[in-house]
Amino acid sequence: MSAFKRKRGRQTQADRKAKKAKLIADGGEAPVEADQEKNNEVTIPAPVSSGRWTNKERVLIFSSRGINFRTRHLMQDLRTLMPHAKADTKMDRKDKLFIVNEVCEIKNCNKCLFFEAKKKQDLYMWIANSPHGPSAKFLVQNIHTLAELKMTGNCLKGSRPLLSFDPKFDTEPHFALLKELFTQTFSTPRYHPKSQPFVDHVFTFAIADNRIWFRNYQIMEEDAALVEVGPRFVLNLIKIFQGSFGGPTLFENQDFLSPNMHRRQIRLAAAARVREKQMVKEMQKMKKNEAKEDVTKDVTADVFQTPTDETHVHIQMDAPEPKVAKKNKHKAFKRQRMARR
Amino acid sequence: MIIDSRTMDSAEEESLLGQESEEENSELSDDELQEAFAKGLLKPGMNVLVDEPKKFVNNVEGMKHCLAELRKDLPWVERLDMTNLPAEDVFSNAEGNIPSVKNGVVDADDDFQREMLFYRQAQATVLDALPLLSKHGITTKRPDDYFAEMSKSDQQMQKIRKKLISKQLILEKSEKAKKLREQRKFGKKVQVEVIQKRQKEKKAMMTAVKKYQKGMTDKLDFLEGDQKKGKDSSSAAPQGANKAAAAAKKGSNSKRKYKDHRFGFGGKKSGKKWNTKESHNDVSSFRAKVANAKGSKGGKKGAKGGKQNKRPGKSVRKQIKSRS
Repeated sequence: MSAFKRKRGRQTQADRKAKKAKLIADGGEAPVEADQEKNNEVTIPAPVSSGRWTNKERVLIFSSRGINFRTRHLMQDLRTLMPHAKADTKMDRKDKLFIVNEVCEIKNCNKCLFFEAKKKQDLYMWIANSPHGPSAKFLVQNIHTLAELKMTGNCLKGSRPLLSFDPKFDTEPHFALLKELFTQTFSTPRYHPKSQPFVDHVFTFAIADNRIWFRNYQIMEEDAALVEVGPRFVLNLIKIFQGSFGGPTLFENQDFLSPNMHRRQIRLAAAARVREKQMVKEMQKMKKNEAKEDVTKDVTADVFQTPTDETHVHIQMDAPEPKVAKKNKHKAFKRQRMARR
Repeated sequence: MIIDSRTMDSAEEESLLGQESEEENSELSDDELQEAFAKGLLKPGMNVLVDEPKKFVNNVEGMKHCLAELRKDLPWVERLDMTNLPAEDVFSNAEGNIPSVKNGVVDADDDFQREMLFYRQAQATVLDALPLLSKHGITTKRPDDYFAEMSKSDQQMQKIRKKLISKQLILEKSEKAKKLREQRKFGKKVQVEVIQKRQKEKKAMMTAVKKYQKGMTDKLDFLEGDQKKGKDSSSAAPQGANKAAAAAKKGSNSKRKYKDHRFGFGGKKSGKKWNTKESHNDVSSFRAKVANAKGSKGGKKGAKGGKQNKRPGKSVRKQIKSRS
């Protein structure tokens, strides 16, 4: 399979770009040939634009300066997976956040995914509904990108995803709000010109340990055999704001510990341990140098005294007599023998 | 009165900043403090700085309002979202160990369980969504000749495939090496056993032959021993084999005969006396009377007996020799 094959019934990039302005109006005209071609196949998938693209959802995905390679790849992966996404250049950190709204308006997008990197270590993600709607800020952790060799699945570029939510999303109001935001942001609109008519992967949003876990699986078989494809990351909610990138706070996560505080806690714990050890050593030193009292009475003196009769102790003064060594024990026999002869 | 201070984060800081806070208090200025006291806000006694517990915003009404505004009433086909509990875990239910997930709380640190949970959630979604999708005419399977751009390039998929294959190869190699090692150990054991058996047999044969040579047994059973055993063990077919064994024995016998005929009888010529177990245990030439007779009755008899039985020792014999 070569890298690029002329797509059946799909327009090439050039054609599509040229006709971009008209696509909204046209809808069904361009891939009419696709219709006929596909009708010749055994299974007839619904052609992309036999319907009109009405759900005009566009997401702007971009970042601030100072991101590392992993974040950059994650952004690229998201743009690949979401055909209704647009890219933009890096935003300067000097500008205030509400400038993002203006950028969104320029690009004619109504949702935004903005990645912000701090200290070259921590990654924050803003998800916002651009003109007036709510926005949320998350801390992103545990990023694994599409390019990792352990993610063995593959999916069509631009195919529409199934979205799968944990039932816990319906329990709390802030989770319900987030669910709505995610649904609108991540679901590819039907009949989007860049989308594929098949549904062959599923995004999973699950809640565990008070965080939101994102996974992307490819649907291999009709009996729900799945293989992991896509990027995976963990979102830790910080705050939800009423306005887009600003406005009054609607919700604040109690269990959120900022990464700085986390690092600080670790450092303090280490320092406390060291100090404790030092204190113990000092105590030992002090004990050693304490004035010690002399023990006159031996408490254990009578431990081995048993109630028995005293035996008379006999001390040998003289040395014992030397033993007489009998050399020839058979002298008696010898004499007999000599006598007999 | 509780003075709210938000700068205190930990006890250490408090102790460090203790002095500062007093200064701050004094910055609050004595006049102000006096006024507050006059108003009755300050009570006499120790006034301690205490943290006011941080209030977390949870504006439920606001959120609901926002949600209502945000909501776009799109048909399900547009959104394709589902909410599912994880699907039934067939394997663990079959094995009988119900995971701790049942109580609703999943341990995020147990990687395998967590990932299995997510996997099963996705599975449940797929299973529920497939009929709905087919109703709307959307398929999840693409035809074999539908070539389109994939999210991961072919190069990437090749790399993945290579990695998987190499992993499998390594596994296979290690398995083979293990098996070989086991085999070698086993083979060594078998070899040692066979050698020992052979040595035993050889030893038995040699002792039997020696016995015959010394004249203790005059039966040549040891030659036929193998044949008999062979007959017993192998029932029907190898009669020919037995015959061959017998022929081989006779062959060696004929050779032996020829050599004997030419060079006389082989074996030790004067091997009459042997210091073997049997000769050691043989006490038939011990005359208790003679041995225990001290100063016998008749001199001659005694002398003879003495001479015969009481052989003088080595040193005495030497002396006698040197004397005469």
